[in-house]
Amino acid sequence: MLATVDSCVLAGLEARRVEVQADSANGETKFFLVGLAATSVKEARERVRSAIKNSGLDFPRKRLTVNLAPAEMRKEGSGLDLPIAIAIALAEVGKRAPARSAFLGELALDGAVRHVDGVLVAARCLKRLGFDRVFVPAVDASEAALIEGLEVIPCENLAGVFAHLLGQAQIAPQPYTEVAVDSTSGALESDLAEVHGQEEARRAIEVAAAGGHHLLLSGPPGSGKTMLARCLPGILPPLELAEAFEVAQVRSLLGDLVPGRPLDWTRPFRAPHHGISMAGLIGGGSGFAMPGEISRANHGVLFLDELAEFQAPVLQALRQPLETGRVTITRSGGSVTYPARFTLVAATNPCPCGWLGDPVRACRCTQAVVDGYQRRLSGPLLDRIDLQVGVRRVPLAELASEPRGEASAPVRDRVIAARTRSLDRQGCLNAQLKPRRLREVALLEPGSRRTLERWSEQKGLTDRGFHRAWRVARTAADLEGAEAIEDRHVLEALGYRLHDVAA
Amino acid sequence: MSWKRSAIDCTMSPPDLSALNTRGRWPPPAGPRVAIVGSRRPSPYGEAVAEQLAADLARAGVIVVSGLALGCDAAAHRGALTAGGFTVAVMGTGVDIVYPAAHLHLAEEIVAGGGALVSQFPRGTLPRRQNFPARNVTMAALSDAVVVVEAVQGSGALITAEAALDLHKEVMAVPGSVFSPLSVGTHALIRDGAGLVQNARDVLAALGRIGEVLDDPLATPKGLGFKLPAGRDGILPHLSDVLALNAAEIARKLQLPIAEVLGRLTALELDGAVKRHQGGYVRALRRGKERA
Repeated sequence: MLATVDSCVLAGLEARRVEVQADSANGETKFFLVGLAATSVKEARERVRSAIKNSGLDFPRKRLTVNLAPAEMRKEGSGLDLPIAIAIALAEVGKRAPARSAFLGELALDGAVRHVDGVLVAARCLKRLGFDRVFVPAVDASEAALIEGLEVIPCENLAGVFAHLLGQAQIAPQPYTEVAVDSTSGALESDLAEVHGQEEARRAIEVAAAGGHHLLLSGPPGSGKTMLARCLPGILPPLELAEAFEVAQVRSLLGDLVPGRPLDWTRPFRAPHHGISMAGLIGGGSGFAMPGEISRANHGVLFLDELAEFQAPVLQALRQPLETGRVTITRSGGSVTYPARFTLVAATNPCPCGWLGDPVRACRCTQAVVDGYQRRLSGPLLDRIDLQVGVRRVPLAELASEPRGEASAPVRDRVIAARTRSLDRQGCLNAQLKPRRLREVALLEPGSRRTLERWSEQKGLTDRGFHRAWRVARTAADLEGAEAIEDRHVLEALGYRLHDVAA
Repeated sequence: MSWKRSAIDCTMSPPDLSALNTRGRWPPPAGPRVAIVGSRRPSPYGEAVAEQLAADLARAGVIVVSGLALGCDAAAHRGALTAGGFTVAVMGTGVDIVYPAAHLHLAEEIVAGGGALVSQFPRGTLPRRQNFPARNVTMAALSDAVVVVEAVQGSGALITAEAALDLHKEVMAVPGSVFSPLSVGTHALIRDGAGLVQNARDVLAALGRIGEVLDDPLATPKGLGFKLPAGRDGILPHLSDVLALNAAEIARKLQLPIAEVLGRLTALELDGAVKRHQGGYVRALRRGKERA
């Protein structure tokens, strides 16, 4: 007998339909699995055999062939266990699978259906491919239930699913998860109220948040660079529905979703260690590439501490995503594109020993060493960081007497107001304005243009530097609620750069 | 003190000045020679002083000797060159090896400007830590007076000063801010009897080229002829020309919003009144008119 069951395999944030065909025929008792299965799928044979047997079902004592179609596409992952087992069981009893239904799940030897990664992504794509119903592991059902108009059958074990298909015992579908945007994001991990002094850096992260600008903090060890960076998610608005959905999909692929609470409204904050590999940061892996840290930080903050210690090629690879908000990676299985629109916060010491410019401790680096260190930072990556500020170390004894700043809440209100202005005006944040759009939506007063041009002449600003200051000036004006970019906005914008690091 | 002291001791007898390797015009034209030495990482003040002093002395016919190092040395060479004077770079490497490499251009300018590169080391000698103290002694031996501009404790410039004392040459120093670590070395020299340098005339007087200068302590000092930045911005008086101040510190002192302070500082920078230094801001000293 022949039975056909639908399923899918993931290729990045896309799913490709897979038809699982099982045929049992007279002949020597054997189990063939064909259709370009990768190792994890080949192993399904053993899991499926035990799971069927231990679920009280009959495993056909015949010549059994399972084909995964289309045969030219390589299949990976354990999600095909369930559809294979269902196809075999249906073939044995001579039943057809329900129409427009897809199955996804890994099997344990006892027949339990286990978690698989990427159920949310699969469910979204299956709906688009015209499926009405998905059978997914019960633990992942809340993910799939985020997709409107898709019936989600939570599967606990193989016997239960089979009984459901034979009409012996119904499994209640998982209700569609009503999505309510939660604007009262939970307690902040770090509040600006805890930052003493550091007015310049505080202002810079406010501007960064308001305009989506990337930020470089430079200062000696213990000056609070990490603390400042951690405050950034707290002054950003909560994720929008579409953003939260994109974040959830990447997390789903990586198996990072919290069960039962698939949507999270706080902005991601990722702080990978400087030893990270190219694949870890950008994304990679065999077959189809998996998302890296930059995609996990999508719509949130990517914090790179000790920027100069990262491998140069890894940093260079950040350029494309910084420019486009996406990353495309090609591996043997094909190309995949992941979202990677994040705010980069980079931190660095001013020199290898860290104490250059510190009022108390002397720097022990020679000029050549300092130059070499800063050269590592300069160049194309730094060119894309709109805001650069120095952070001063506050001696412990003075820490208490330093004025406490504003808390995150009022700063966040200003940031949201400024972001709303820019989104209403141009549909994107100021940092994403290309020069042509900048000319359209960010008119410079004659006086401000003169200032920018004078600076440009004096300091030999590159075109990129010119536009960078222009964009930041736009944000400074937005924070003030001003439509026109005045001289003081341009002047402030020009202040956000480090003199020792190349312009 | 240990290795430095021994380095001086073993090279104390100045090298045979007739056996120097040279490039450019050597021997130099007749005239008094003054070594201007100082920190490799001076404050903007120190750099400006070294450059202005060298220029003023060069105009008065003095041959400016220095070590081609970063910071004060380079400023001194540059000052002499802009004044069209003769300047000698005493190198710690072979005369064919320029160290630091960033000064390749400067070295060529010195030769092209009629000056000289000299070294007691054979051609091809690479920069080695232990050679520089000996070079400092040679500098002293080649000069009639040594002026130290900004030196931290233990600075190589102080080796030159000490060697000059041993060789009975004039030692002078430029005072700095009492808050700056870069003044520790120079102030120690002044306390120990080094001549105080406020301008080129002080040096010329010590060389006996002009009568003794006795500036009236109550009169406005006849400084090196710097123009202090002329701006009406209220921020300016709060800035130092030696110690860098952070925008945040200025904002707090003046009770102004940080965004405004950043903007005003940039405006001042645009006018050349302030400049960035070590992550903060300092007043920019501008070179004044020609003076002797």
